[in-house]
Amino acid sequence: MSRVSFRLKAEATGSHLSWGLCGLLACAVPTPADAQPPIQHLRIIAPAAPGGGWDQTARVMQQVLQRTNLVHTSSVENIPGAAGTIGLARFVTAERGNGDVLMASGLIMLGAIVTHRSPLTLHDVTPVARLTGEYEVLVVPAASPVRSLAELVRALQTQPEAVSWGGGSAGGTDQILAGLIADSVGVDPRRVNYIAFSGGGESMSAILGGQVTVGVNGLGEFAAQIEAGTVRVLGISSRERISGLDAPTLREQGIDVELENWRSVVAPPGVAGPDRQRLERTIDAMVRSRDWHDALARYRWNDRYLAGDGFARFVDAEEARVQGILRKLGTGRNPSVSLAGAGLYPMLVLLGLAVTAVATTAAAVRSIRPERADDRASRRARWSSIALVASGIVLDLLLVERAGFVLASTALFWCTARAFDTKHPVRDLAIGLMVSFAAYVVFARLLELPLPRGVLARWI
Amino acid sequence: MDTLQALARGFAGALTLPHLGWALGGVTLGTAVGVLPGIGPALTVAVLLPVTFSLDPTSAFIMFGGIYYGAMYGGSTTSILINSPGETASVVTAIDGYEMARQGRGAAALTTAAIGSFVAGTLATIALTFFAPLVASVSLKFGPAEYFGLTIVAFTTVAALLGSSVLRGLLSLFLGLALGLIGIDQLTGDARFSFGVPQLLDGIDVMVLVIGLFAVGETLYQAWRHGRDDLQVITLHDFTGMSREEWRRSWKPWLRGALIGFPLGVLPCGGSVLPTFVSYLVEKRLSDHPERFGHGAIEGVAGPEAANNAAAAGVLVPLLTLGLPSSATAAVMLTAFQQYGLQPGPLLFSTRPDLVWTLIASLYIGNAMLLVLNLPLAGVWARVMLVPRPLLFGGILVLASVGAYSLNRSMVDLLLLYAVGAIGCAMRVHDVPLVPAVIGLILGPLSEQQGRRALAIAGGDPSVFVTRPICATLLVLAAAVLFGPRIFRLKAEATGISA
Repeated sequence: MSRVSFRLKAEATGSHLSWGLCGLLACAVPTPADAQPPIQHLRIIAPAAPGGGWDQTARVMQQVLQRTNLVHTSSVENIPGAAGTIGLARFVTAERGNGDVLMASGLIMLGAIVTHRSPLTLHDVTPVARLTGEYEVLVVPAASPVRSLAELVRALQTQPEAVSWGGGSAGGTDQILAGLIADSVGVDPRRVNYIAFSGGGESMSAILGGQVTVGVNGLGEFAAQIEAGTVRVLGISSRERISGLDAPTLREQGIDVELENWRSVVAPPGVAGPDRQRLERTIDAMVRSRDWHDALARYRWNDRYLAGDGFARFVDAEEARVQGILRKLGTGRNPSVSLAGAGLYPMLVLLGLAVTAVATTAAAVRSIRPERADDRASRRARWSSIALVASGIVLDLLLVERAGFVLASTALFWCTARAFDTKHPVRDLAIGLMVSFAAYVVFARLLELPLPRGVLARWI
Repeated sequence: MDTLQALARGFAGALTLPHLGWALGGVTLGTAVGVLPGIGPALTVAVLLPVTFSLDPTSAFIMFGGIYYGAMYGGSTTSILINSPGETASVVTAIDGYEMARQGRGAAALTTAAIGSFVAGTLATIALTFFAPLVASVSLKFGPAEYFGLTIVAFTTVAALLGSSVLRGLLSLFLGLALGLIGIDQLTGDARFSFGVPQLLDGIDVMVLVIGLFAVGETLYQAWRHGRDDLQVITLHDFTGMSREEWRRSWKPWLRGALIGFPLGVLPCGGSVLPTFVSYLVEKRLSDHPERFGHGAIEGVAGPEAANNAAAAGVLVPLLTLGLPSSATAAVMLTAFQQYGLQPGPLLFSTRPDLVWTLIASLYIGNAMLLVLNLPLAGVWARVMLVPRPLLFGGILVLASVGAYSLNRSMVDLLLLYAVGAIGCAMRVHDVPLVPAVIGLILGPLSEQQGRRALAIAGGDPSVFVTRPICATLLVLAAAVLFGPRIFRLKAEATGISA
């Protein structure tokens, strides 16, 4: 019985029209002893593009919550940008007070808030719980001349710039670990030659190919390589050795550094007490389920569940630590490598743009010919056509988040059509409405990419 | 022989009725996603992840492979018909494809794109079947210096896309490069030219530039022309596809496209976009009639469309053999593997041969399905050109706006879309080519980052670019492409005078 209802729900995910149906089914399913009704539709925001750690966390939560009937339906929305700070800003402003939405967050967001000088911090949201943790590993290719952590440290102490560290984005967990290690062996973190790569694939290929001296990355990303013996682990950032993994910790090799890339969930600011308790209870039930523990094992995540005030205190401590090390790192500026600096290339590009723009304008001015009378007439017609399309664009921009996507697009369509056609205003309006509605259904319903519903919210 | 046996077992696994059904569903969905601007295969696979959780992994991956290949087919359709690429990999196709459609040869352009995609997709899948581990190990020899060399080679392709005036082509290129400066500097994490707007921190999305320049720019440009010209009536010559002459001109570009696309797809550098530029340059350079390019040369559609499908297969090589995602879609597929408790990597072929070989077999099947699906559709799609223009352009703007907004659910992107559209219209009015700007935006940041990474690893010593053999070779190749024809011509003139 419950199996069947799950299948139906999975297919109806995100389809608001089907909620009623799901609600009916839920009545047939035995409800938990809890008196308060479960959340109807839980939205989980991943402040990153599909594929990364936060996206995975959000999607695992979605699966587990639905499988265990803790929520009726659930959807994941990606709001990528600037290591989570764009998602954070949107979450704080657009979701204030909403009791049915959560956002994935974590250590990397703390780093990004410092690096990108975000005006909003994790103090601006309602903490719910820390969920998982992932250790970091230092790896070299199997054929690397660097045999041990001691050798790496010796090289680092002799000439820090000669040791290149490959890892993820600047200011992220990987660079933080590199900085912490340098700091603990008496090397100025500012002199760490950290090479930031944009994606997991890019840094992994540079590390496997021996392009950098040493790689810093999450354990999960390198698990398959470690198992296959293509890389050697110099050290892992955990307190104790991990069972089943032949890797020494940093601590046992005399480097007093521990780091775990933790991930958490937060609720919007201003959530009412009962709503907040319901969210906390839902997450609490989720982390106790079998499905959740199966998922943790699959992704090689550590169970780091910590809720309530404990979590809030933990965030404060981590914030202080991250700010401290990032200040010491000086956000990656490397004064010894001037040619590789950030200033030269933009100057060349802007110079090139200025020169070509001036030259093109000069050439165009030379070729101007005197205007004839019929040119003037056609110019008026041109500008009236352009003005029509432009007014459609302005209407679209003004209306889309106020009156909703469908009405804004209809206005855009109608104005554009008017620029090309003077005879069929009613036909154009009707077709514009149809096209806009069809686009809304395809994007918002079938593809789960929410569009503003606006004044039609009650009907669509 | 082992490979053939394993592949045969893979086909046995894939050729069951449910698996064929998933493959068909995948390619159909992929084609639809490719046609719609903005949403790509990465997002579609991510959205489908929870739905497929109740499926067995083989079915899910057959469907994902179908979506991925299908999107490459679908992206060309809107490029050709309405000058509005559905994916960045189809930007180059718009140049000659749209000209062909305006000349009433839309069906032929769509047909050569479909057959070219099939031929190159199949050849690349064969290469994936037999040489995946070898190719993957070679790709690891590429470090930042080599990728820098590769981007310099790719920059030379601009030479083939400059249009009528070198100066205006360069203006367009620098515009793209300047837009590429906006956002966080990857190496330091510092913001550049983002003017305090947080939404600009990640730079301008290539899709916003593409949809803005092409779809919105085209609409505004047509409105601008509407005042003066009578609307040109497009007559469709036929709905049946390619003439014998067009077949003759297409088959070599298909094969060359496969040859260019596969290896470049394996390297994590610009995904499947870069090979399309290179293919266009090669076709133009090898053609007896380079002046036809930009005015509806079928080679300019056949080559790049073959190249982007071959690259799509190439992207799967590092994913399956090393667990290394080299494109957004590959990153999502990696997540999907992990969802089933599988870790792609050096051991995947030995731990789960059933899954890998069924997936590879289903790629062959998906390709064949796409050909069957797309050939009859070419004639149907070509009729889009007969839709009354007021409705066509209204629809284009609505799709462009929803596509751009959905990328990040951001009003800033929508605003940028229309601003770029206005620039695109001005560029068309003044005969400034659009494609160099797209190249600049894609390659500029790549080139700068890789160059600076290479320098940083070498401790600031610029000799790294000439002492590493692969990088040096690439730079020589770039110089040959740029200056070769000129030196050749000078020599020919010199001998002509002496004789």
